[in-house]
Amino acid sequence: MNREATADALGLHERASATPERADTLSEAALGSAPAWTLGKLGLRAQQEWFLAIISTPQAEPAPVNEHSASRLIKPSATLSSLERIDIYRRGYHARLIDCLLDDYPVLAHALGEAAFEALCRRYIAQHPSSGPSLNYFGRHMGDLCRSEPLPEPGFAADLARLEWAIVLAIHAPTSEAIGFEDLSQVPSERWPGARFRVNPSLEILHLDYPANAYLQAYRRGEPMELPGARPTSVAVYRTGRSVWRLELEPTLVTLVESLAKGATLEAGLAEVQALLARGAEQDGAEQEIARKVAHCFQHSVSSGLFSEISL
Amino acid sequence: MRRVVLSGEKLMANRFQLPNLGIGLGLRTTHYSTILEQKPAVDWFEILSENYLRTQGRPLDFLDRIAESYPIAMHGVSLSIGSTDPLDRQYLSELKALRDRCRARWVSDHLCWTGVAGKNTHDLLPMPYTEEALAHVADRVRAVQDFLGAPLALENPSSYAQFTDDSMPEWEFFGRLAEDADCALLLDVNNVYVSSKNHGFDPLSYMNAIPFDRVVQFHVAGHTDHGTHIIDSHIGPVIDPVWQLLGAAHQRSAGVPVLLEWDAEIPSFEVTHAEALRAREFIGVDA
Repeated sequence: MNREATADALGLHERASATPERADTLSEAALGSAPAWTLGKLGLRAQQEWFLAIISTPQAEPAPVNEHSASRLIKPSATLSSLERIDIYRRGYHARLIDCLLDDYPVLAHALGEAAFEALCRRYIAQHPSSGPSLNYFGRHMGDLCRSEPLPEPGFAADLARLEWAIVLAIHAPTSEAIGFEDLSQVPSERWPGARFRVNPSLEILHLDYPANAYLQAYRRGEPMELPGARPTSVAVYRTGRSVWRLELEPTLVTLVESLAKGATLEAGLAEVQALLARGAEQDGAEQEIARKVAHCFQHSVSSGLFSEISL
Repeated sequence: MRRVVLSGEKLMANRFQLPNLGIGLGLRTTHYSTILEQKPAVDWFEILSENYLRTQGRPLDFLDRIAESYPIAMHGVSLSIGSTDPLDRQYLSELKALRDRCRARWVSDHLCWTGVAGKNTHDLLPMPYTEEALAHVADRVRAVQDFLGAPLALENPSSYAQFTDDSMPEWEFFGRLAEDADCALLLDVNNVYVSSKNHGFDPLSYMNAIPFDRVVQFHVAGHTDHGTHIIDSHIGPVIDPVWQLLGAAHQRSAGVPVLLEWDAEIPSFEVTHAEALRAREFIGVDA
């Protein structure tokens, strides 16, 4: 049960002021269509609403104005029609947001394939346009969207998206350093039962139906992958310093960490782990083995850097 | 007027007394490690403000460390100064806090709008150059400067469309806005070049109309020429005609810091920095 760091140790890419360009997988968008806008003299507000309506129209759909209407607001150039000039912005709008989603979901993009992922992004953009000044949380709905889309394995895609989004959240969560065994050694033995542990503030424990973490790790290592079948797993995603970690959790560790995260004392948390193990023990004389596993569970939680503070 | 000056920074003759920081680079994540580990001799860095907003985590950790060693300027893409939506006061508060955190020498954004009716396209959308738009933007620039307690520098964007009801050229709008709102200017000479090709004007006409005592920063960048139009892609090295425009702008100024933006297919730090330092050939070694 190793914990794995994400390959990208630095962070997500910039949202730059440049105009992005993509080699669209779409065929050329239809630029001419029936005019849907009656144009008289427009004030600034109406002009902006008009412009936004055109450039945010999905590229697979015809523009909501025809060339004649467009030319009443936008001058043609020596080389481009009015609608072609507006279409540069339409392409740029979608390209920037697709790039953002690709930055957040590189493994999902790999799993689905370029064309399918881009099509998914275009539906995402139509359903969840950005409303804030930052793109840091633009991609937050991807897991939900995957579950409702006609994808080959929507459950797996949704789990993979949830895992990749947890990585994004860990990057943006408050920075915390982990406590280690040297910190624990300073705790007087009589204070152990009542000790409470603050879990790393970036920690998220995902309960997934598919082994998305194994798939992600194989991707990072460049290993061959197939879409996996269902296999429930629990994965902790968290950051210590600049490293984002993914750790597959056994049920005992899930129990302990979730218990401590809710504010339980160490004694209470370990009792829950012990009870869980006892339910699975079928033979007499297992008490020593259970005690060993409980101790190991706690040691593992500390060595993995899941806690940031002890309070006595 | 807020102003923070490190010893050694040159105060120059722009009317805002903002320092000439020298030749800088746009700070990009792919260069973080090199910057932190090797501490290269770069005059200053410009950050994309929004990359450090709405986060409590790793981006700020890097920024804090880099700001300990280098002067920083902030360059935003979401102010949406030309929008007809109300100014986003929460966003402005966050900008102000970030400025204080990294001790940014100034804050800049673009002469554009990025969204309306609550939507943000995150793209730099074109303004019509009309009296209505001029009055609207000038009011908002004044409000932003009052909020920040400092001059705002506005950049001329690359544009791909012009409105039929434009009543003045972009350079006249840009210059009049600066005077009406009493703001600073960030002159992107690559954008002047890109727009001059897309709209068919003489870039020197643009230069001649700029009030250079208000220019506090130059941008240079690469672009993509599609034949029918040019896209401001910030890819590749800067082409010679853009460097020559920088030289022309420099001659009209009293010394303005230069910043290279490289955002697509970003090469190594060394290559990027070497490209930025080509500015010396066009502005003289004392800049």
